[in-house]
Amino acid sequence: MVIGGGIAGIQSALDLAEMGFFVYMVEKGPAIGGRMAQLDKTFPTNDCSICMISPKLNDVGGHINIEILTLTDVLGVKGKEGDFEVKLRKNPRYIDMSKCIACGECATKCPKKVSNYFNEGVDTRKAVYVEYAQAVPLKFSINDKECIYLTKGKCGNCKKVCPANAVNYEDKAEEVTLKVGSVVVASGFDVFDPTVAETYRYSQWPNVITAMEYERILSASGPFQGHLIRPSDHKEPKKIAWLQCVGSRDVNRCDKRYCSAVCCMYAIKEAVISKEHASDLEASVFYMDIRTYGKDFEKYYNRAIDAGVKFIRSRVHTLTPEPNGDVTLEYIDDLGERQSETFELIVLSVGMTPRANLPRLAESLDIDLNEEGFIQTQPLTPINSTRPGVFACGAVNEPKDIPTTVMEASAAAEAAGRVIAEARGTMTKTREYPPERDVKDEAPRIGVFICHCGINIASVIDIEDVVNYCKDLPFVELCTNTLFACSADSLGKIKDAILEHKLNRLVVASCTPRTHEPMFREALAQAGLNKYLFEMANIRDQDSWVHQKEPAKATQKAKDLVRGAVAKAALLEQMYQTRMGLTKEALVVGAGAAGLNSALSIAQLGYPVHLLEKTDVLGGNGPKIFSREKDVRGYVAKLIKDVESHPLIKIYKNTVPKSSHGFVGNFETKCLGPEGEFSISHGVTVLCAGGHAHKPNSYLYGENPNVLLSLDMDELLATNSEAIKKPGQTFAFIQCVESREPERPYCSKICCTHSIESALTILDRNPEATIYILCRDVRTYGFREKLYQEARSRGVRFIKYCLDCGKPEVTAGPNGKLHITIKDHVLNRPVLIEADCLTLATGVDPTPMREEIVEVFKGQLSAEGFLFEAHMKLRPVDLATDGQFLAGLAHYPKPLEETIVQAKASAARVATILSKEYIMVGGVIAVVDPEKCAVCCTCVRACPVQVPKIVRNETDPALRGHAFMEPAMCHGCGVCVSECPGKAIKFQFFTDEQLLAKVEAMIVEKKAKPA
Amino acid sequence: MIICERKPIDEIKSFIAGKKKVLLVGCRGCVTVCNAGGTKEVEILAALLRLDAQKDGNELTVDEFTLERQCDPEYIDELADLVGKGYDAILSMACSVGPQFLSRRYPKEQIYPSLNTCFIGGALAHGIWTEHCQACGNCVIHLYGGMCPVSRCSKSIMNGPCGGSSNGVCEISKEVECVWHLIASKYMDEGRLSEFAPIQPIKDWTKSRDGGPRKIVREELVK
Amino acid sequence: MSEFEPKIIAFCCQYCAYNAADTAGSMRLQYTPNVEIVLIPCSGRFDVILALKALQSGADGVYVAGCLEGGCHFLDGNIRAKKRVVYLQNELKKIGLEPERLAMVNVSASQGPQFAAYVDEFAGVVKGLGPSPIKKQLAA
Repeated sequence: MVIGGGIAGIQSALDLAEMGFFVYMVEKGPAIGGRMAQLDKTFPTNDCSICMISPKLNDVGGHINIEILTLTDVLGVKGKEGDFEVKLRKNPRYIDMSKCIACGECATKCPKKVSNYFNEGVDTRKAVYVEYAQAVPLKFSINDKECIYLTKGKCGNCKKVCPANAVNYEDKAEEVTLKVGSVVVASGFDVFDPTVAETYRYSQWPNVITAMEYERILSASGPFQGHLIRPSDHKEPKKIAWLQCVGSRDVNRCDKRYCSAVCCMYAIKEAVISKEHASDLEASVFYMDIRTYGKDFEKYYNRAIDAGVKFIRSRVHTLTPEPNGDVTLEYIDDLGERQSETFELIVLSVGMTPRANLPRLAESLDIDLNEEGFIQTQPLTPINSTRPGVFACGAVNEPKDIPTTVMEASAAAEAAGRVIAEARGTMTKTREYPPERDVKDEAPRIGVFICHCGINIASVIDIEDVVNYCKDLPFVELCTNTLFACSADSLGKIKDAILEHKLNRLVVASCTPRTHEPMFREALAQAGLNKYLFEMANIRDQDSWVHQKEPAKATQKAKDLVRGAVAKAALLEQMYQTRMGLTKEALVVGAGAAGLNSALSIAQLGYPVHLLEKTDVLGGNGPKIFSREKDVRGYVAKLIKDVESHPLIKIYKNTVPKSSHGFVGNFETKCLGPEGEFSISHGVTVLCAGGHAHKPNSYLYGENPNVLLSLDMDELLATNSEAIKKPGQTFAFIQCVESREPERPYCSKICCTHSIESALTILDRNPEATIYILCRDVRTYGFREKLYQEARSRGVRFIKYCLDCGKPEVTAGPNGKLHITIKDHVLNRPVLIEADCLTLATGVDPTPMREEIVEVFKGQLSAEGFLFEAHMKLRPVDLATDGQFLAGLAHYPKPLEETIVQAKASAARVATILSKEYIMVGGVIAVVDPEKCAVCCTCVRACPVQVPKIVRNETDPALRGHAFMEPAMCHGCGVCVSECPGKAIKFQFFTDEQLLAKVEAMIVEKKAKPA
Repeated sequence: MIICERKPIDEIKSFIAGKKKVLLVGCRGCVTVCNAGGTKEVEILAALLRLDAQKDGNELTVDEFTLERQCDPEYIDELADLVGKGYDAILSMACSVGPQFLSRRYPKEQIYPSLNTCFIGGALAHGIWTEHCQACGNCVIHLYGGMCPVSRCSKSIMNGPCGGSSNGVCEISKEVECVWHLIASKYMDEGRLSEFAPIQPIKDWTKSRDGGPRKIVREELVK
Repeated sequence: MSEFEPKIIAFCCQYCAYNAADTAGSMRLQYTPNVEIVLIPCSGRFDVILALKALQSGADGVYVAGCLEGGCHFLDGNIRAKKRVVYLQNELKKIGLEPERLAMVNVSASQGPQFAAYVDEFAGVVKGLGPSPIKKQLAA
């Protein structure tokens, strides 16, 4: 059972279902989607949030092994790990889901307007409603506390107008009991309510809003259809301020000590997006520390600065309203001067708080909460609650961003699946499609759907014009528009249209096939049509979004693109996939904390693992780390023991991969070990190639013995060295050493916490020590903030420096002292620190083996040298190649607990493949026509992966042979097709005829429709 | 196989200058295998010729057809209907046998070659072909470690190597390997250098071109 | 007469270039609408006939975009594509068409800004060349 239908619950449920388990998804609201459905765009890619999550919603909604229970509360959980009995209450919807057609008549006629919580109360909705257009399940529901009939017994409008007779006022709550093996809690967070922080006058002034309200305002499907206007007078604001850390890092007014981890990035994102809405808009962010610590976050921050977003380090102390609705902020700037500035809109960057109902849920689950009110977990078991068999992921444990949430969700799936590994496949069902209609001999009948994507497309492209234009294209039977082609109701309409109009080809003009093609193909299959009879025209990502200021040309381009898609669609052919076996073994590259965890988890799920390590020791950086909070060295030692003693894990030390080929399910990797070259067959690959501490060329490192790196200091602390216990000692730390600079622009995420932990440990052992931490922004995100608070309260002195006002200077002084000069940000003058020991926080470099790894496994590196995942937000554990995954520092610098999570997540992702009995192959591949083959060997020589072979003619060995490509092996690049001198090879779905027709149609204006 | 290479486009253009309707005939034999005149090359040449004409506003129709082979009359016959439609020129994309057979069968048509027939050889790798035979009519490679001095020695000498061989390459170009070096190396590697020593008698060239155009008749096959 | 708006067909490989174009979209980078993208699985699938057909149909320019060199998802598809592009550029020159109407670039999936910049740059080159002579003849 997965509790919560947000992105965490969705990922967990999908992974578990793909691993071969049946999943109940319990959601207390009327639809799944969670917070991501509310967001406008997501950082750092600026991807449209709903566009990203929508396919996932449909995956869950349509998954045969996931049952969604909406409007459902958890009452109690009895039993033990592997054998729980869950009591649920299904609250009444008052709408019969099997009858509701989501036409919205009921809401049109409902007289009761109430505050629309999905839009954060910025506008109103009716008492009968759906939360949002892409909601899954897309069924209306009646709120019984709002409905006039249900509260006063009068009205009944909705029942009268419902054409499907779906309204049922007699609907009653129902208690059900389920037997489940494990529980994943993913119930998310609440947005901090800033009413209690009176300074901000949130509840009094309409133009002081929360960031979540702002998201809804920006959103195309929000209260203002994506027009950036302020609530008080619907004026377009030209000057907006973001106030950071509202409900975070604040013990005075709201008792939220922790950092909410995401607000800096979302505020920057909102500022950047706002400037895209109106380039002359002034955006200012008032902050304490900018915490852009994740992958590509720092780059995003720098881009915002370049785009003109202002960043002011100050906490605003007074807000004053102006008669015209503006708000004046008063604050003290960096130099201690009083400043005041007037803004037209104030956005409060509110933090995350535990769900209001979490204490009750925790009670019914019999799990503990921590002192901050989130679910209690331990650093080295970050997804385990205090009750065995109950796991927690996402913001329910600690505030965190979406990629980390997704990793945790997969890790929770791994843990939840491991508990019930023996039950795998016993409760799952398989999907039955309606029989496929053979359309081989039919003339093309093309259906064209042009998507508005809210206003994403429609605000630039004249949809009506495109629809009218495309109606007359050759073979087009039906051409219509749709608000969101990807929504459940649109997919339903597409299926209906296929049946009603006997369509045999489908074209959708919307976003990119990279994300949405599978979903539409599924719809075709469900309508009894071969799924390859589908073509997309990308009129959003490659048209409306990139020609926002040229609507006429964008509309013309949309016509060209659809014309091309229709021309290709007319020539599409039915294609079939076949089943193919797989090697149920995994290859894990790298035996640091990531690789060890990944290997152990995969083995514990029941699959053999080959673990490669380039050195002769296991553990990677783990044995070098010291932590005050947790026994890292003991943990790694036990991990190594567990891995070494696991019968399913084979360890290869001093071994590196040399070359790898194959495809998901059937890889073959040549390795070089002490005994020479050998080959491993495996179905999946997990790359955990790691990273290491950067060695700097500054601050006397390597020249003066008292200048250490963070891991050197760890060694002193781990060995309880006397060297740090002398009275009167002064310790200094310099942060961001050769990090966050143009040459190494990224933030390594771990160093601030690391230095503070070291400082606190020194103080534990040498209470009289003087400690300075010279830092830029202190990035103790999440609960790590508590360490920062402790350090300050115990007298650790933080001196901030910036690149503009000068980095610290370090020289060797007399008596072995180090002289550190830095301009103090409070005194605004240089100060001299005489330190006995200086620790440099240098951050993490990617592995020096990165180039080889990428070459062998055909991956991609980011500009910084870290592996490029399949999608930064929603596929943080997958590589672009199917069947390849990654974990740990190879992905990006991260603390040990996040490495553990990502490694366990990789095991869950691995299991989604290895749990299958076969994989489907074929489809978009090259196929030889034996009749045309000249047996010239061109393809044999041209193929990059040596797939084509010349084979005997199967029907008659006496006949001339021909080239043949094993469908399961063909990677589908098409090189052979473009070289074949006899034009005997057809590249399915990208045939010459199809591409030529498409190209010609795109260039040549409309041809007349054949009579 | 016979290795060919497409003629420069200018030369082909000069053949069809002023002509309005052209037939381009490919061959699925050797020239497909050596990527010079198969369906694909026909398609590309046709497209280039059309593009060239279109650019200048010239009216030009280029039809494409690829025959199984152009060195057998039966296949050439397959073109009869098409040729009947009246072309100003027929371009053969086969070795030089093709245009000759076409001319013989369709004497009224203007037939042009669009390939240069280069040599008899094979593909060392995708895109690289080398000469291995000169059709001397009297094969002697068994005497030379399985290598042909007639085609692969720049001088076609039969008792080499000559003084121009250096470090395994021929004096005419560093790109040309000395076949005599290869022959000698092979015998040495096999420890049979003594077998390599005898001087070979003068080769019988009567079966080569020296006796005029050659013809083979096998009585038992002739009807 | 209104300003010349070239028509350019860009063949983009699905792993990098098409992805980069999507990235440019998600970043809302504005570039010329003169370029229209055709998805191909790998730039190695780019076939000279596709470019010839595009030019024949009246395209003013043809662009091929693949992964960074060394970064091809299929090892060397982009290298092969590059060679075909060079080959065809030579042939175009010989028949008197500006070889600059055909070009190839390499971008990675994350290089949305570069993609947008390359496309604008190429469109600028084609604009400078003026309408393709074929298009002029088609219009005549």
